[in-house]
Amino acid sequence: MLASPHIEVTDLVIRYGNIAAVGPISFAAEAGKQLTLLGPSGCGKTTTLRAVAGLEQPVSGRIRIGDRTMFDGKAGINMPTEQRGLSMVFQSYAIWPHMTVFDNVAYGLRVRGKSAGEVKELVGHALDLVQMSAYGGRSASQLSGGQQQRVALARACAFSPTVLLFDEPLSNLDAKLRGDMRIELRELQHRLGVTSLYVTHDLEEALAMSDTILVMKGGQIEQAGPPAEIYNFPRTEFVADFVGSANLIRGRVRGDLATGDAIAVETRGGQIVYGTAHGRATAGEACLSVRAVHFSLGRERPAGERNIWQAAVHRSVFLGDLTQVHVTWGDREVVVRQSGMQLWEDAQPVWLSVDPRHCVLLEPN
Amino acid sequence: MECDDRPLVPVAATIEKRPGAPAQKLVGAAVALLAAAFVLYPVYYLFQAAFDVGDPNVRPPEAYGLDNFALLPNYSEIMLNTLGVAVAATVMALVFGFVIAWILTRTNVPMRAALEQLMAVPYYVTPLLGALAWALLGSPESGFINQLWRAAGAKEALFDVTGPIGIAWVMALFEGSVAFVMISAVMKSMDPSLEEASQVIGASRLRTMIRITLPLVAPGVLGAAIYVFAEMLGSFSAALVLGSPNRFYVITTAIYQLVSQYPPRLPLAAAMGVSLFAVMFAMIFLYRRITAGRSYVTVSGKAFRPRVMDVGTLRWVLFAVCAVYLIMSVFLPMATLLFASVQRLATVFPKPSNLTLEHYTTALSLNAVRSAMGNSLLLGFLTATIGIVLTGLLAWIIQRSRLPGRNVLEYIVMFPQAVPRLVFAFGMMWAWLVFPLPVYGTLWILLIAYLTVFLPLGVRTISGVLVQLDKSLEECGEVCGASWFYRMRTITMPLLRPGLIAAWLLIFVASVRELGASILLMGPNSKVLTPAIVEAFFSSSSELTAAMALIQTVVVGAVMLVFLTVSRRAARHGA
Repeated sequence: MLASPHIEVTDLVIRYGNIAAVGPISFAAEAGKQLTLLGPSGCGKTTTLRAVAGLEQPVSGRIRIGDRTMFDGKAGINMPTEQRGLSMVFQSYAIWPHMTVFDNVAYGLRVRGKSAGEVKELVGHALDLVQMSAYGGRSASQLSGGQQQRVALARACAFSPTVLLFDEPLSNLDAKLRGDMRIELRELQHRLGVTSLYVTHDLEEALAMSDTILVMKGGQIEQAGPPAEIYNFPRTEFVADFVGSANLIRGRVRGDLATGDAIAVETRGGQIVYGTAHGRATAGEACLSVRAVHFSLGRERPAGERNIWQAAVHRSVFLGDLTQVHVTWGDREVVVRQSGMQLWEDAQPVWLSVDPRHCVLLEPN
Repeated sequence: MECDDRPLVPVAATIEKRPGAPAQKLVGAAVALLAAAFVLYPVYYLFQAAFDVGDPNVRPPEAYGLDNFALLPNYSEIMLNTLGVAVAATVMALVFGFVIAWILTRTNVPMRAALEQLMAVPYYVTPLLGALAWALLGSPESGFINQLWRAAGAKEALFDVTGPIGIAWVMALFEGSVAFVMISAVMKSMDPSLEEASQVIGASRLRTMIRITLPLVAPGVLGAAIYVFAEMLGSFSAALVLGSPNRFYVITTAIYQLVSQYPPRLPLAAAMGVSLFAVMFAMIFLYRRITAGRSYVTVSGKAFRPRVMDVGTLRWVLFAVCAVYLIMSVFLPMATLLFASVQRLATVFPKPSNLTLEHYTTALSLNAVRSAMGNSLLLGFLTATIGIVLTGLLAWIIQRSRLPGRNVLEYIVMFPQAVPRLVFAFGMMWAWLVFPLPVYGTLWILLIAYLTVFLPLGVRTISGVLVQLDKSLEECGEVCGASWFYRMRTITMPLLRPGLIAAWLLIFVASVRELGASILLMGPNSKVLTPAIVEAFFSSSSELTAAMALIQTVVVGAVMLVFLTVSRRAARHGA
């Protein structure tokens, strides 16, 4: 196996006409790891990916893969896509309808001038990998969505690329299939050891598959880090909200109650909420983020001193795996998600509590 | 997965310095420059001639001025004729198009699918054939219909197809099918839930029609109206065949008259051409503004299944409306030509002794006709074949490439659409007379002319297929490492095949039947068929003309059939 290179993007700027679409952004994907660009539609994640592939031309910045420069605005280097030696799975799959499954997968190998014998062998391997060996002779237009997805994957892997780009490859599949493919893709990525860039707007997909996540908004990187870091310690209100809905609690920092990383915030209603600064600077006003699943509700007052309040159930909604409870707490409403089927009556008084470690200080806007 | 220790691509250092793909840029630039030269060079000379106020025999012009345009008010009668015919024809064509589009998209008229297919046929019959046939049917003295009318006891002719209304009628019959295609596309793309929403809220059918349906289709119909009007202003063949024998001129036939008379008045003709061009250009510009800047969401690119109204027994009446249109524009003209071509002297009540095939034998034995036929087919074949390569590349550059200036290129390529072919040919004649290559009066100039005037046709047809192709199909080939030529050969061309075949056929048919450009540009040794048919109409008998027109139709049909069969077979063998 050829050693997979790392990808390094520096000060990349992409414009559509006069509109700045992306940047300037910088990031690096480690060799053999998966980096995911996560964000809502229009945040520039696909544009960034396409720039790495050479399908969009940036205005300035630098893109390097391994020790080869793909794009350098200053030096005037812009390597054509076909010479970048990477591979990509498209959102629409882009299965060529006028070819058989075999010919689709063989394309990259034939471009590289492999002999007929090699092509046959490698296409066989690639189709095995995605469990589509039985479909080689099938015309590509006769495949279901999930099958097309697998063929697209086999085609992208067949010529042993060292860099794989994914542009929302699962977004056209139904929920069940998406869940299965997520795991398969992750395993495949590990097995092949390729460096991958993955674009998605789906949080679970990003959390399940990535080594590193970049959350993007408006062409800028909001936060970068491993999935657990992104989920547990969102940096900004946007990340807290986009990466799994979070309750935001605003208030005044009470320096007198703080000890080290532990801080306290007094809300306008006068409640004291203890939280963790996660090494971030505290200022006069602060905002804490609390995941809906981290709140607890109980009929009895739990043991302990901190972060326990009286509140009232406003409405509870049964969601299957979870029950979502809207709780009126002082002059605000918080959303609590509980596993299990405990149903609450409207207006029922409850004790609301949360571990201070789960109340994370956000950086000021 | 198999391991491979060789680098997947050539070593970076050797290729890093090369920006972009040179093959693509080179081919793109060459094609773009060629197309731009083809279009702009004649236009430049057209303008030069229009502003030439010196001795017309001295080139380049000695002096420039507006004198030629100052003469135009003397021809105000021709301008009024043109305007009157164009307005009347546009109104009629829109009525045909709108009514039939509504019937075929929104009612349960019988045999809807078949009728919709048949609605394309008038386009293939062409206004020239229609005019030749309607001249036989409706000329005041000898027209078949007027003969019948008199036989039924009337003193006067029922109608006169050689007058302005008659000319407009014939033009409208054939442009009606274009209006139909445009308006039915608008009606089909309207989301039926917009109307359903109105009815659910409680509006009556009539109210829904007036408040919702009409405002939604109005921009599309207006667009069609402007487009059709521009076409009518520049149309030539019906006015030439029906109007010029009795000295009724519109601007295109007047230009032709000024160029072909002795001595020719070329600068005046050029000034008329430029004026016509300016008006048509404004119309087309307006049309593009209306269709492009439409804020209505009726055209969402999605094909909806429009709601079909059950009209009860009225459906047979509506069926009759469509049938009458098709009879008037297709069956009656073709039958008339056939009927006339087998008589010694065409009359509506032939004696058996009057029947003959001699016109066919004459037509086929005339050297002029045979060489014209050969030339036309050769030109059609060359134009279509070179044309799809040229327009295919242009369509790709405009729609897909990242080459700079491709928007400008689109405007240049679509330019000939705004210029009547006769006017364009005038510019070419003027341009190539001074060009150092001796192409004037040969088949070469006709080939160049056809390639130029049918650029919009080819580019539009192929672009229509190209924009429906998912862009990532090509990008994926790029990512897989395929060069531009390799991608073109293995992905783009095979996927574009239906568009290329359609474009080949359209360009072939249009070239073989081209009149406006050919009539000015053909030389004594480079005759082509359609102008030869018109010549026969003016100088020989209308029976011989009918035979020639039918021979042309049959030959064109046969070539189309052979081409379709061959290309289907080739597709099946994966060639």
